[in-house]
Amino acid sequence: MAQRNAANSMGGSKMASLHSTSVAEPVASPPPIAPPIRLLFWALWLIALGLGLVGVYQRWLLGHLPAGYGSFVPWGLWVAIYFHGVGIAGGAFLLGAGGFLVGLPGFRNPATLRTVIVLSVAAVIPAFLGVWLDLGHMERAAFIFFSPNFNSMMTLNAWMYNAFIILAAVCWLLTFQRRSAWLKPLLAPAILFSIMFPSQSGAFFGVVEAKGFWHSALLPMLFLASAITAGGATLLAVRILLGPGAESAADHEAAVRRLRAVTLIGLTVYFVFEFAEFSIALWNPDVHAPAIELILRGPYWWVFWIVHLILGGILPFVLFLTRRSNAWLIAAILVGVCFISARLNVLIPGQAVGELEGLQDAFHHERLKYIYHATPMEYFVGLFLLAVGVAVFFLGSKINDVAARHFGLHD
Amino acid sequence: MTMDRRELVKAGALTAAGVLATGALVARARLDRETGDPQGEGTVRQLTVLNNIEPRFDEDVLLRMQRDLVKAMAKPVEQRRWVMVIDHRKCVGCHACTIGCVAENKLPPGVVYRPVITEERGEFPNVHLKFTPRPCMQCERPPCVPVCPVKATWRRPDGITIVDYDKCIGCRYCLTACPYGARTSDFGLHYMDGAAVGADGAAVMGPEQKLEDLPNYEYGKAWSRDGHRSPVGNARKCHFCLHRLEVGQLPMCVTTCIGRATYFGDASDPDALVTELIAKNNVYTLLPHKGTSPRVFYIA
Repeated sequence: MAQRNAANSMGGSKMASLHSTSVAEPVASPPPIAPPIRLLFWALWLIALGLGLVGVYQRWLLGHLPAGYGSFVPWGLWVAIYFHGVGIAGGAFLLGAGGFLVGLPGFRNPATLRTVIVLSVAAVIPAFLGVWLDLGHMERAAFIFFSPNFNSMMTLNAWMYNAFIILAAVCWLLTFQRRSAWLKPLLAPAILFSIMFPSQSGAFFGVVEAKGFWHSALLPMLFLASAITAGGATLLAVRILLGPGAESAADHEAAVRRLRAVTLIGLTVYFVFEFAEFSIALWNPDVHAPAIELILRGPYWWVFWIVHLILGGILPFVLFLTRRSNAWLIAAILVGVCFISARLNVLIPGQAVGELEGLQDAFHHERLKYIYHATPMEYFVGLFLLAVGVAVFFLGSKINDVAARHFGLHD
Repeated sequence: MTMDRRELVKAGALTAAGVLATGALVARARLDRETGDPQGEGTVRQLTVLNNIEPRFDEDVLLRMQRDLVKAMAKPVEQRRWVMVIDHRKCVGCHACTIGCVAENKLPPGVVYRPVITEERGEFPNVHLKFTPRPCMQCERPPCVPVCPVKATWRRPDGITIVDYDKCIGCRYCLTACPYGARTSDFGLHYMDGAAVGADGAAVMGPEQKLEDLPNYEYGKAWSRDGHRSPVGNARKCHFCLHRLEVGQLPMCVTTCIGRATYFGDASDPDALVTELIAKNNVYTLLPHKGTSPRVFYIA
């Protein structure tokens, strides 16, 4: 009954009626989504998967030929998706597992921790898949484990993600024990990794001295801030959609409010950092900052102004300031989706400015240009990655339910 | 905090172990810079090229450079210091070096090792063109090497940075790390893709005739691109025609330069032509502020 009251206070009678099933089934509630919306969601998922499979088939059959990246802009949409995915994974885990570790209301239940772990894995698996498809020799991906070069930030990053996945998987298993003496101790290094790998994602670009726009100590901080923001927002959206589950309604509401606050702070910090970076670069009226000018006035100006600033920043900020949880849900989804623009706006402009003037005109070819347009194949594969992420989360949640029942847990 | 003391100690120990392990891996990578390349007397080449041709004071600089090359190859690899000197005053922008390189290394579309950058300077009518051939700079501190996640690229003892095509995973991190844009990725394109074929297409363009599937001989090995095999999918770069040096031939771009604007040789030899050119001229390097110490010098 308490859950129903809380649901009423947060989202109105429709949410309350949908939450009512969670009273009978305390382990995990079904999503509080009306059947027509659920049907629409799965129809969209099927479309994404179908188009995605077309993209994957093209990638498999034709290699990199249908892709838009080249040698001067060697990384495109998939790499942006990769960094966005691992950012969500790190941010969501940091907040969810951190809350569990310190016993915050709404986070201290092992069932909630399992959801957090599944969300992190569901974000990181498509990210890996995306970057794997981006490799010139996919069959050699394991070389990074057998012949690693730890001077490379890419190696350090890959090892840390994998250490994180292993630790998260062990923690997930330990959540099924009634009283594990190792769960919290293992969560501590996993949390440390979840802080380190989003920061390293920034360092991944920051250490590239050749690219003036990337070579900044601020970049790891920006990436960490965006990971916490996007991860917090995604976790918030999932928590609102799934309802209280095994938590009490009051705890659930406390968790939602806390995640909203974290996301709001994250948004503020990110945009302050970004303002700092841009304003310093552009302060001198005669300055030439080509990468930033590309972001603000280039062919993809709308990615910054509309997707990043308006849809990913201002609109969610305003929605978060309201008292309606439905508005918070929309805001969280907007941040979770639109913050990929934060990655794109670092990734592409950084590459699109060459150090040697005239190099682009020295030898003419489509793959030797400082301009990048993602192709339909790349977008299709992007949809595939999204569909995989959703499927992994859905399946993971089902496995959580089944396993909890198997172990007779009511958390 | 809901952790008891025992859990806290375990958490601290595990976290510290994680941090220490990471630090140890990075430190070990920093200290262990050995490439495993052969060195010493086993790398000496006693080449007989030009044995029967007497040096003349007015001989072509190509012959002079080839003599320098033969002399350098008679030293162990670690004692050679290959450099290239490019004289802007002599370069006419003919792109023969670019094309010679494409032909020698059978480069596919979108892959180029030595483009020539053209700059127009001044204002009409006082204008002039400046041509800057841009091979790999073979930097003494190559930024492309440490970023490779699988040790597929390294700097040889003679200073040439190479790529192991069998090891490269095609992540393209090295492409972003090179400030000179000297690395390009082989995306698997062919010049004959989409070419019109007539009734005799099978005979002319059949598998046995498909020129682009014939191997190239970079790094002294036959590489066939047929069936998406390496170097398709790899990062590729200029290697000063290492496979030619090994048999006493100058890099193709040097040989094909119609203005004799490109010089090549061993800068550790005080009598070599390149050493003379570097000492006598006001040479400069590209993007010196990047701190890469290039081994390609330009005479302005």
